[in-house]
This record gives sequence, C-alpha cells and structure tokens, in this order.
Amino acid sequence: MSAIAAKPGANAGAFQPVASIIALVIAVILIGAAYFLGSAGILAGGALFVVQTICLIVLGTALIAFGVHFVPVGGAPAAMGQAPGIATGVAMLATGAGLAGLFGGAWAAATFGTGFGSGFWLSLVGGAIGGGLMMAITCLMVNISYVFGMGIPPASGKVAKDPITKDTQAAYKSQGTEGHGLPFISYVGGVIGGLFGGLGGTLIYVELLDFYNAALPKMFVGETGALAVGLAGIFAIGIFLVIAVLSAYNITGTIEGPHDPKFKRFPRAIVAAILAGAVCGLVALLVVAAF
Amino acid sequence: MSVKVEASHDGVPHNKVMIIGAVIALVSLYIAVIGHDLLHIDYLAFFGGIAFIGALIWGNSTIKKLCSYGIGTGVPSAGMLAFGSGVIALLFASALGAISVWIIPVAALVIALIVGLILGWISNSVLNMKIPVMTRSIAELAAVGALALMGLGVVAVGCVGFNEIATLELLGVTVFNTSYIGAGVIAVSFMLGAIALQHPFNACLGPGEKQDRTNMLAIECGFLSMIVMAVISFAFVSMIAAWISLIIAIIGWLVSYKKYFALSKRDAAAWLDAKPFVDSEEQ
Repeated sequence: MSAIAAKPGANAGAFQPVASIIALVIAVILIGAAYFLGSAGILAGGALFVVQTICLIVLGTALIAFGVHFVPVGGAPAAMGQAPGIATGVAMLATGAGLAGLFGGAWAAATFGTGFGSGFWLSLVGGAIGGGLMMAITCLMVNISYVFGMGIPPASGKVAKDPITKDTQAAYKSQGTEGHGLPFISYVGGVIGGLFGGLGGTLIYVELLDFYNAALPKMFVGETGALAVGLAGIFAIGIFLVIAVLSAYNITGTIEGPHDPKFKRFPRAIVAAILAGAVCGLVALLVVAAF
Repeated sequence: MSVKVEASHDGVPHNKVMIIGAVIALVSLYIAVIGHDLLHIDYLAFFGGIAFIGALIWGNSTIKKLCSYGIGTGVPSAGMLAFGSGVIALLFASALGAISVWIIPVAALVIALIVGLILGWISNSVLNMKIPVMTRSIAELAAVGALALMGLGVVAVGCVGFNEIATLELLGVTVFNTSYIGAGVIAVSFMLGAIALQHPFNACLGPGEKQDRTNMLAIECGFLSMIVMAVISFAFVSMIAAWISLIIAIIGWLVSYKKYFALSKRDAAAWLDAKPFVDSEEQ
C-alpha cells in the first residue's frame, strides 16, 4: 500500500458541484442554528457574538485546509529518496505545524489578552510565526539530512524549472525517481503552509477561549480561566486534527508543494473544511450551553 | 482508489468484533458510573481501562477494514481523525450529563456517530474518495474515539460527568486549574489513546497479518496507556483506587505482552534465540 502504488483514479481531482453545494447549505443551516440558539439565550453572549465565534472558527478551518496543501509531504518514498518532500504523512506534519502555532498563539493570548485590540492580532501573528518557524526548521533539517546524510541533491519531479529561483531540475533528478530532497519552492511552500496552519489553529483557539470565558462564569462559581484554556485548547487540537486529516484525504498521499498539480484540488478541501468546521464548532459551543 | 489492496479474511467478522467491543466498553463505563453515583466509591475506576480496551478492539477492526482500501495517507491519520472527532463528542456528552449522569456513555456514542457520519459523508462525497466503507468507518471511528477517551477519563478521575472532569476539590475548595481538563490531562489521554488506536494495525499489517495477534497488540497498547493514566489518577482519585488501577494495568500489560510475544513467535517465519558471541581467543 505504498504511496507510489496508490494511483488516483481519472476523476480523483474533480470538483464535486452537487455534494459541495449540499455541504455549503448544511453549513449555513448550522450557522443559522447557532444564531437561534444565541438569540434564545441557550448559548451565552447574544446571537451576534455566537455567529461571530462560529464564523471565525469556520474561517480558521478553511485556513488550515488551505495551508495543508502547501506542505511538501513525501511519505515513505521520500524516506527512500525516491520522491521529493518531508518523509512522513500529511496528518503528522500538519499536526506538528498546527500545534507549534497553537503554543505560540496561546502564549500570546495569555500574555496580551484576546479582545479585538492588539491582543487578538498579536495572538494570530504569534500562532502563524510559531507554525511557520516549526516548518522552516523541519524543512532545513530535512534538507541537511538529505544532502549531507543521504548524498542526494534536491530536485523536483513535477516542474522543469523552480518557479521562484528558475533553477533547472531535470539534470539533478536521478533516473527512476520522481525527484528527491526539498527544492526551494517546496521549502517556501512548507513555510507558507506552517503560517496558514498556525494562523487557522490559533484563530479557532482564540475564538473558543473568548466564548468559554464569557460562558463558563455562568455555569461555575470561581476562577474558571484555566478551565476555559483547557477546553479551548483540546477543542482546537481536535478540530485541527479533523481538518488536517480531511485535507490529507483530499491530497491522497504525497504532494510536492504549491507547484504540484494536486495543489489545484484545494477548493474541495475548503468546502469540506467549512462544513466540518461548522459541525465541530457548533458542538464545541454547545458544550457550555445552558440547557 | 476503490480497489481493495489486501484482504484480511480471518476468524471473527467485523460486525461481531464491533458488537463485542461496544458492549465491553458500554458495560464497563456503566459499572464505573454505578460505582461512582450509586455506591459512592471510586475503586471501580479501573473499569474505565477495560472500556478503553473494548473500544480499542472495535476501533482496531474498523481501521483494518478502512485501511485495507488504499486511503493514501497512512494508518495513523485514521487514529488522529477518530480522536479529533471523538473528543468533541465526548465533551458535549459530558456536558449533557447535567440532565442525568446515566445518559452520558450512550449520548457520547450517538453524538459521535452523528458527527462521524457527517465527516464520513464529507470525505466520501465532497472529497470524492469513493470508498464503500468510508462513511460507516469514520462514524465508527468517531464513536471509538469518544468511548476510548471516556474510558481513560474514568481511569483518571473515576467518573464521566462534566463537573468531575472540570473541577477538583482541594481542601474543601473547588478549583478549576488542576482539574482533568483545566490541567490539560485530557491532552495526554488524547495522545495516549490515539497512538494506542493507530499502532496495532500499523505495526501488524502486511501479508501475514493475523486477527488474534493484532487484537492482542491492541490489548497490550491499551494496558500500556492505562499504566500512565493510572499513575496520573493518583492526583484525582483515592490512593487505594489508584493503586488498584495501577496494579491491574501492570499485570494486564505483562500478561498481554507475553501473549503477544508468543503469537509473534508463532507467526514468524523462523525464530533464532539470540546467544552471546563466543570470543574465539578464549577457546
């Protein structure tokens, strides 16, 4: 069941218009349900606050789904130097980037607050930089082990010239492989993917944290800040993993980065993320509902 | 993509394994609830570990069914998806416990199945995976994730209710920052469970895969995760209950590890017991 053997079918990359429209309609219905739960007083903070929270959660999931497509994932063939990319699966890489971003964003949120002042933007920037930094370090160390450990030059198999540096690739590509190592464009793609992943994960975390900080004092007496952080953190991790795996299913295996033909499949993953984010976000908000 | 890569024809059919696993998990969770809410003792916390292992056996069989189609992303992604959707359903079900503590395990199962069905429909229709068992498998995996996390939570705090996992009584004061959720212990159980769920089939897959060996590895992983949760539970439950959980987990792990080792020897092509090299100069 290697990634090389798993050839996608003829229409594996095709956009599914009917299913996508159904998915978007269900997502809008769920956001509408959140509005009514908010206006009925079941969810705390009023209807507009609830809708704003769930819409920004959905935006965060869409950013994650978009970002995952930038990350150069090589899988098992990359470990043997037969395909470009980082030698592990999409879920693992996206999780690493997203959680690193989440730590950065959570630190900023704890230090500067999460209101729509400077704290909100600082948290998002902190999360994006955390995710991007993690991917930059990973890509650098991967290339060091490829070049100096395995003795192979980075070369892309999908494009003749690197879109950024205009370096030719074919002369460095070994016969019988799909390319190897991390070419410059894949490196840049990895860092952009980390930025988007960290940004999306932190957006989900910050929104949930704001919501729980508003709702939990009505359920419990005492200092509930740590509980809000724990709940928002575990939900952000859970939603992040769901979206990362769904995007991985969209990619089906390996991708080289933004220059890969599979990158063009990302609209499908964003539609999927919008529905999945609406479902998971609504359930996450309902945890602190006043029944 | 809907070409079945490797068939796993063996022993017990999937539906039977699913029912056995779900029944073990639900019955064990209800025994723990009876212990906490009727008998007011927490010595039955170790039944959470049994529930965890029941859920693992079910999830292991589901992962085997799903991953025998080439999903192209590796087996671990299935475990991560299961727990990502499971934790959401689990916490919502725990919050529903405000109505009655007795509905929590069944509510977690039902909510996880609903969330999982939507996610499965997304991956099969919107993402065009076209795998026949996809929708059902992801729904099952979400349910497995919710039940397994609930089992680990019971080992740690002895109960399933939201109040018990969100608060901790310290010297008569209710605090939130050292509770199961507030201190982030739930993230530890998340990873312990996700790795225990995805590891057995990932380790045993291949042409010589046997159902009893994979299941034994699932049991072994379950007890190994339970050891860690039992150690953590010293902070939340009474000393005797934590020791009971820890001893049961260690004994279970030793027994299942030995059995798994024997099954691996049985299925191996050849087995050479390693002996120390004899130094030629001494002879």
